[in-house]
Amino acid sequence: MQREQIYQLLKQKYGFDEFRPGQYEVISQLLAGQDVLAVLPTGTGKSLIYQLVGTIMPGLVVVVSPLISLMQDQVARLNYQGEKQVAALTSQLSFGTRQQVLRHLNAYKFLFVSPEMLKQPEVLAAVQATPIALFVVDEAHCISTWGPDFRPDYLALGQLREQLQPQRTLMLTATATTQVRQDILAQLRLPAAQQVVYSANRPNIYLGVAAVANEDEKRQMLQQLVVTVKGPTIVYFSSKRQTDLIAEWLQSTTGLRVAGYHAGLSGEDRFKIQQQFMAGQLDVICATSAFGMGIDKADIRLVIHYHLPTSLADYVQEIGRAGRDGGQSLAVLLYAPGDEQLVRNLNDLTSASANEITQAFQLYQQNITPHDDLGQVLQFYWEHDYTVEQVTKIFEKRQRGKNDELRQLLAYVQAEGCRRAVLLAHFDEPAPTHTNECCQLKGDSLPVAALNLQAPLRAQTPPNPAWESILDQLFLQNS
Amino acid sequence: MMFSTEPRRAKAVFNVLRGRRTVSTLFAGLTYDCLSALDSWHGVPMEKFLASLQELLTAGDLATPMEGYVQLTTAGAAHKEQLQATLYQPVAFRAFQTIDVRRFTAISALALQVASQAVHHQNRYYPLTTDPGIQAIVKQWFRRQTVAHLGEQLHTELTTFLQSLPAPLPTVFVASISGFENPGQTDQQLATQLDKTPLEILVMRKDLACRWCLWLETQPQSCLATLLQPLVKSNPVTPSAWQTYQTVQQGLTVEQVAIQRRLKLSTVREHLLEVAILVPTFPYTQVLTPARVQTLTEIFADQPVVANWRFEQVQTVAPEMDFFWFRLFQIMRCQTNAA
Ligand SMILES: [Zn+2]
Repeated sequence: MQREQIYQLLKQKYGFDEFRPGQYEVISQLLAGQDVLAVLPTGTGKSLIYQLVGTIMPGLVVVVSPLISLMQDQVARLNYQGEKQVAALTSQLSFGTRQQVLRHLNAYKFLFVSPEMLKQPEVLAAVQATPIALFVVDEAHCISTWGPDFRPDYLALGQLREQLQPQRTLMLTATATTQVRQDILAQLRLPAAQQVVYSANRPNIYLGVAAVANEDEKRQMLQQLVVTVKGPTIVYFSSKRQTDLIAEWLQSTTGLRVAGYHAGLSGEDRFKIQQQFMAGQLDVICATSAFGMGIDKADIRLVIHYHLPTSLADYVQEIGRAGRDGGQSLAVLLYAPGDEQLVRNLNDLTSASANEITQAFQLYQQNITPHDDLGQVLQFYWEHDYTVEQVTKIFEKRQRGKNDELRQLLAYVQAEGCRRAVLLAHFDEPAPTHTNECCQLKGDSLPVAALNLQAPLRAQTPPNPAWESILDQLFLQNS
Repeated sequence: MMFSTEPRRAKAVFNVLRGRRTVSTLFAGLTYDCLSALDSWHGVPMEKFLASLQELLTAGDLATPMEGYVQLTTAGAAHKEQLQATLYQPVAFRAFQTIDVRRFTAISALALQVASQAVHHQNRYYPLTTDPGIQAIVKQWFRRQTVAHLGEQLHTELTTFLQSLPAPLPTVFVASISGFENPGQTDQQLATQLDKTPLEILVMRKDLACRWCLWLETQPQSCLATLLQPLVKSNPVTPSAWQTYQTVQQGLTVEQVAIQRRLKLSTVREHLLEVAILVPTFPYTQVLTPARVQTLTEIFADQPVVANWRFEQVQTVAPEMDFFWFRLFQIMRCQTNAA
């Protein structure tokens, strides 16, 4: 296909004149018959790549995605863009609906599915019977970060891909170190895939770190930031409980419109909060990291981390939700001494000692089905004929990896010099020239005014209209 | 809310709430007078139920007279009375017995969104649900509508329905709709606005969903009626039990029915108990026979509390009588007491 035709399609289908950095390169490689690993920063419009390729190539586009909520967001977004032949095959569908989708796979262009769902014999058989144009592994870094000790079915993706025999494979991620990229290619058994790697750097996001003495000071700092800095704002937490508590506290103490968002909400509530945020009806979202993966809001100005993220890669991805419109934005990580313990506790949840692994293997030999998470993860390895020694090594390696990630995160938090340099070094990128718009050096204050990010005077939130007038707005044309 | 000062089996109450349709669950629902709540909390995990039970036990509102049973303490009974006076009390949960309320709620929410966007000529929006089954149903429905009148018609119907409701129900209902430029509000947001707990809002919304289904059942000309119809059953009983019941109504004995329907005698009996519990017009005397009714009436003549009857009492007087007749008689008495 000619370059002009591709640009024509971009204009005609999506109304754009230009591709974002990386999009065209990946599309043309795929159309030239290559498998591609694409590392493109958050906000590059990664889904446009497989949408466009799917439009050009005959056959189904299978997108492997880690979270149900993310799949639903992606389907909704494709629907929004006018793609009708889209479905997410999730455990939330009724049995009948699932059968219906599987029986009519030919009627679909895009199928979203988790590794666990794809591996089910009935699903695999139906997908296998359908010609596949493109096999997409979205959030491909999960293979390396979640595969070993949390979602082992990610490790079986290489085998599944070979069984499905897609014409092309596309691996997508926003952030991946050299090591993670190697892991992805090895696991998917595609050593010859082309790599299209773009910088993780987002120069329009100022990097701040606010060191506080304790939890109390942290709350005060959070409150001050959301009141004085221009929004819209996302505040990230690592616990669901804190998300709700602080959202309520912020709403009642600042008068801002705040909502909590996490995996515990119903699909309906998630929809409403996302749509309110996109429509500018919310000032602040307090969220766990699940928020924002699937939504496309270009004008987020402030991203605050109330807790440490689990790695620098996650941090880059989460702050990347700010400033997609290119405008000046601000990321602030709040840190109190001891915060790293929370990350260690989370890491411990998925760790396993040699002893535990041996015991789990003995239970497996006695045909006892495990009920705990760890036992179920280990089950995968036993079913794939791993030995206790091999599994112990894999778990040790992953724990070492997690300790490294935490160490590098703390190096960023406690950096004496340019933070952006530390961040980019993590992805083997050269240090940038530090400027006043780059990052907050230790001891400096946040240059909110210099960045032109002061909160405007906020109008009083109008009272909710009466139900009669909402009903008019909904269903009468000229109201 | 589901407990009284008489001991009740906690597990049975849980099974009523999540809609487990076994005869023992249904019978518990009948004797505990909470059948109307059947299936109203479908999908609630056991752990959550046990956790709230534990909270009430710790607070001293509930006590455990024996393993597996709970009853309200005096303080608990007073507390319940106070809550009943101040909290919203659902009135339409009986709809759960004959209508798939949950599915209708999901379908109609998408239908209202599609209609509202169409009224404003907006075709780029994020759909409320990505469930392909629900999307297909609504798409088919929408094709049969005349867009020029759809908005007005829905507006009129909703207004009529909502005007029949006490405040703040109309506010809660309308705030739950997602449509053009109105994403709607979450339970948490409504709770803040109306100064109630999110749980109370949730109960209101469940009850509203039921009320709306029941109202729409009486409006066959409504543009949403075709979406509701496939989700309505003519009676609350399972189809197989209903078939058994119809054979009995032809005048056959239980044994004859078993032969004709090629079912085990025990299955036929289970079916009849299910129908007896859920259908008030059950022909007790015909099935029980007047002789059995008389024997059983004599045995329990001086015991007004039906739930306290024990089958052993029957066995000492009439050892040949099956448990089935005893249970059926018990159900009959519960129904007449209730009526
Ligand atoms: Zn710097």
